[in-house]
Amino acid sequence: MLYYLTKRLGLSAAVIGLVVLVLFSLLHLIPGDPATIALGPRATPEAIARYAEKMHLDEPVWRQFLIYIGNALTGDLGLDVFSNRPVTAIIMERIGFTLALVCAGMGWAMLLGIPLGCLAAVKPGSWLDRVTGVLSVGTIAVPSFLVSIWALLIFAVQLRWLPAIGAGEPGQLGDQLSHLVLPAFAIGLSWVGYLARMVRASMLEVMGENYIRSARAFGLHPQRVIFGYALRVAILPTITLIGMGFGGMISSTVFAEIIFARPGIGKLIFDAVMARNFPIVQGAVLVATGLYILVVLFSDILIAWFDPRVRESL
Amino acid sequence: MPKDATRAPETLLDIRNLSVDFRTPRGRVKALRDISFPIRRNRIVGIVGESGSGKSTVLWALLGLLAKNAEVTSGEVLFEDRDLLHASEAQLRATRGEEISVVFQDPMTSQIPVLTYGTQMRDILYRRPGLPTAEKRRMAVEMLGKVGIPDPDKRIDQYPHHFSGGMRQRAGIAMALLTGPQLLLADEPTTALDVTMEAQIIHLLQDLQKELDATVVVVSHNLGLIAELCDDVVVMYAGEVIEAGEVREIFHNAQHPYTRALLECDPARIDDVSRKLPVIPGDIPDLTKARSGCIYAPRCQRALPVCRDTFPPDVARGEMSLARCHLLAGPHHDPSWPPPLDVMTVGTGEAGARKPARVKRDDPLLDVSDLNVQFETVGPLRARLKGIRTRHVDAVLDVSLSIAPGETVGLVGESGSGKTTLGRTVLNLVPAQSGSVRFEGQEIRNMPEARFKPMRRDMAMMFQDPVGSLSPRKSVRALITEPFQIHGITGIDLDDEAERLAEMVRLPKAFLSRYPHELSGGQARRVGVARALALNPKLLIADEPTAGLDVSVQGEILNLMADLQAEHGLGYLIITHNLPVVRHIADRLAIMYLGRIVEEGRTDEVFARPVHPYTQALVEGVPQPDPDRRRAHVSISGEVPSLLNRPKGCDFAGRCPFAQDLCRAQKPPHVTMADGRQHACHFPLGH
Repeated sequence: MLYYLTKRLGLSAAVIGLVVLVLFSLLHLIPGDPATIALGPRATPEAIARYAEKMHLDEPVWRQFLIYIGNALTGDLGLDVFSNRPVTAIIMERIGFTLALVCAGMGWAMLLGIPLGCLAAVKPGSWLDRVTGVLSVGTIAVPSFLVSIWALLIFAVQLRWLPAIGAGEPGQLGDQLSHLVLPAFAIGLSWVGYLARMVRASMLEVMGENYIRSARAFGLHPQRVIFGYALRVAILPTITLIGMGFGGMISSTVFAEIIFARPGIGKLIFDAVMARNFPIVQGAVLVATGLYILVVLFSDILIAWFDPRVRESL
Repeated sequence: MPKDATRAPETLLDIRNLSVDFRTPRGRVKALRDISFPIRRNRIVGIVGESGSGKSTVLWALLGLLAKNAEVTSGEVLFEDRDLLHASEAQLRATRGEEISVVFQDPMTSQIPVLTYGTQMRDILYRRPGLPTAEKRRMAVEMLGKVGIPDPDKRIDQYPHHFSGGMRQRAGIAMALLTGPQLLLADEPTTALDVTMEAQIIHLLQDLQKELDATVVVVSHNLGLIAELCDDVVVMYAGEVIEAGEVREIFHNAQHPYTRALLECDPARIDDVSRKLPVIPGDIPDLTKARSGCIYAPRCQRALPVCRDTFPPDVARGEMSLARCHLLAGPHHDPSWPPPLDVMTVGTGEAGARKPARVKRDDPLLDVSDLNVQFETVGPLRARLKGIRTRHVDAVLDVSLSIAPGETVGLVGESGSGKTTLGRTVLNLVPAQSGSVRFEGQEIRNMPEARFKPMRRDMAMMFQDPVGSLSPRKSVRALITEPFQIHGITGIDLDDEAERLAEMVRLPKAFLSRYPHELSGGQARRVGVARALALNPKLLIADEPTAGLDVSVQGEILNLMADLQAEHGLGYLIITHNLPVVRHIADRLAIMYLGRIVEEGRTDEVFARPVHPYTQALVEGVPQPDPDRRRAHVSISGEVPSLLNRPKGCDFAGRCPFAQDLCRAQKPPHVTMADGRQHACHFPLGH
């Protein structure tokens, strides 16, 4: 286990290093001098020189890279070009909103999708199975930005049940939750379909295994056979899918946060790219990558917890 | 077998007029037709039959666990006055696991891998809510101890993958007996196990049955197991009970021509080691078609015209004995049937001439000497972290073996003995660490693939799983001509070649356009032979050539292989754990244990006078298809040790009944005896 964690953390560090390298090269590959961009076209040569020195822009590229890595390790991701505030602080202000959105979106998709897939697999060909099949394909096929816009129009504009934009008043949990409903619904919807299909397929496979027949031959209650035996094995590939899904969802938050005008990492990256605010882009993408790696690691550890064979091969 | 309504008091389970259909795309398969037989209390009843006989369907039908496309069309199964076929799902569930329990065929797949034995066994006791969890655990530990699992208090918290195959099957028996069922069903309980394990499981079942006064039903195709274990026997063929009786009646005085033929085909019963094995010609009939007359008539050597259109009578012999045949009663009664036991009723296809013993020894076709194959078990980094010193295990250790043209060498060993690895190394599919492999004098060990590829034409492999090793998307014609395409051979007419090969393996031309799933096991095996022989190889390595084949057809494949050998002078390396089969076909035997060859010599000599105690254990370990030759004790205990902790001295010392201090301290060297036999034993038997 210790060996496994060491190996995985080492690999994660390598992935993050690679991401930083790509981000860093992008900055140097695009046309334009960072100092001119930062200070605007009317900056004096003295101001540009001062800025370049402060930002180590006169150093060779590899030194700049090492300086960035060193700073990032100590939590310093640079300064916002416009406000001069630390990038780390800006990201920390917004990351909570994005995490809440992603967890809520994946959470409701799991709560609905996994039982649906499970029940559909227990009685293949039943009406529930057919309805689930149609719904899955439907929710996967409809793009989530369309769902966002329709949800906004129907529930916020027409019915006025839920607030349309923003993240709610700080400190008021009820208000914040009501602001979370529509975006979470929009980004989670297609995952209901994915998960239901995935769980159904692996459940069908597991239900045909010999050990399920054994459990039934020993007279175990069907509920125990389905949830205690079959689902315990069938859930394993789904955990991997959910882990990777979190990564995908971080990118879906971009449009959800734009359409619903919510603060968050997605909107932050979008705005920063538009304004060519590179320290923010670099920092935010780095944090998002780190999050993704963390979730995948967590899902692998979860699988090991569920499956003793995996646990011991670690 | 009385068919009247009253039931003898000793009858625990009464199956009456049971019929089961399977709905398939080809139509309704009438898998069971009007099956009736009683199961008597405190007896071990064997249901024996080949694939397609419906023996497992009986078992699942009485548990109410048939596949979804199955339909019980008639009959009743009375278990203590309750009809299981018409019981509600809740009633059935209360019976399953409590009163009727099951031991499954394959302990590798029939136990859930993600739960400990403790959890699985506690689940089985779920119907006792008043029982404290600690008490359930105590019961489970006690039962695991009873089936011979050492240290059950610790091992109960382990998962199935921590157990070896034999231990898993013991645990499976413990799970089945945990609730103290009246009836224990065992579905091919030893088929997935090695010979030495099989003997142990048979004796365990016998002992437990006596101790617990249980009634046991064993379903098997293995005549040796049935003869060794059972009191009563039911013989099934193509969905019908064709004969039933006490075990001695069945094995010593079989009445039905099929039972008789089945017994004659079992290589373990044939002492005369002729090259040709008897076979029952033909295949099991298509059960979707309506039939008239005797179901066995198309394959029966004694079939009369009446057999094809008139249903044969059930001729009762004793209280529960019967046989279903026209020859036994009625107008076609033949007093001379059945003939004495030494008269063969089935043919071998051709005269059983044994190939003359070869006098001159040719230069060997294949010569393996001091071959070593190691597998890496842990990566270098992990070994450093965990302080593991030896990162490799020896899968093949100092193996020397040679095969002459036209010679058949049997390589025998249990699972994990390295026999398959050796075969793959010879074919250069696994790299070897040291030693030499010479093919026609040329060193081929670890030869680069580009240079070795032309030589692959001369060395062919027949894989273990006849159907699984064929691509399901290719027709037989494409499959048997694939070797020509792999080796880029042009200038031949593939259709002609396909027909030539099909004729060679006696596969009707119509089969060329079929796909693997449309073939029976024996037919798929023929395709495998045709593929292997397509390029006229000189050496054929056959991995378990009879695995998955029924007794009545395995003779066909072995006879075919013998004919092709006589015709083309092929050298055969037969990798198998099936001793009765290898005894009939191999000129020489090499016995492997934990990667080492422990004994090598002429087959007849090895069988007659084994030198190594392991060989002796294997030879004695095969259950004999004769109830009068039951063994009183298990000749070998314990299990094959893991390669990871190979014993310091002789690999076999831990299980050897004759082991002495020297054996535990020093690895015995290979010794060649005066008559050319080799062994690796400090104290060879009989010397």
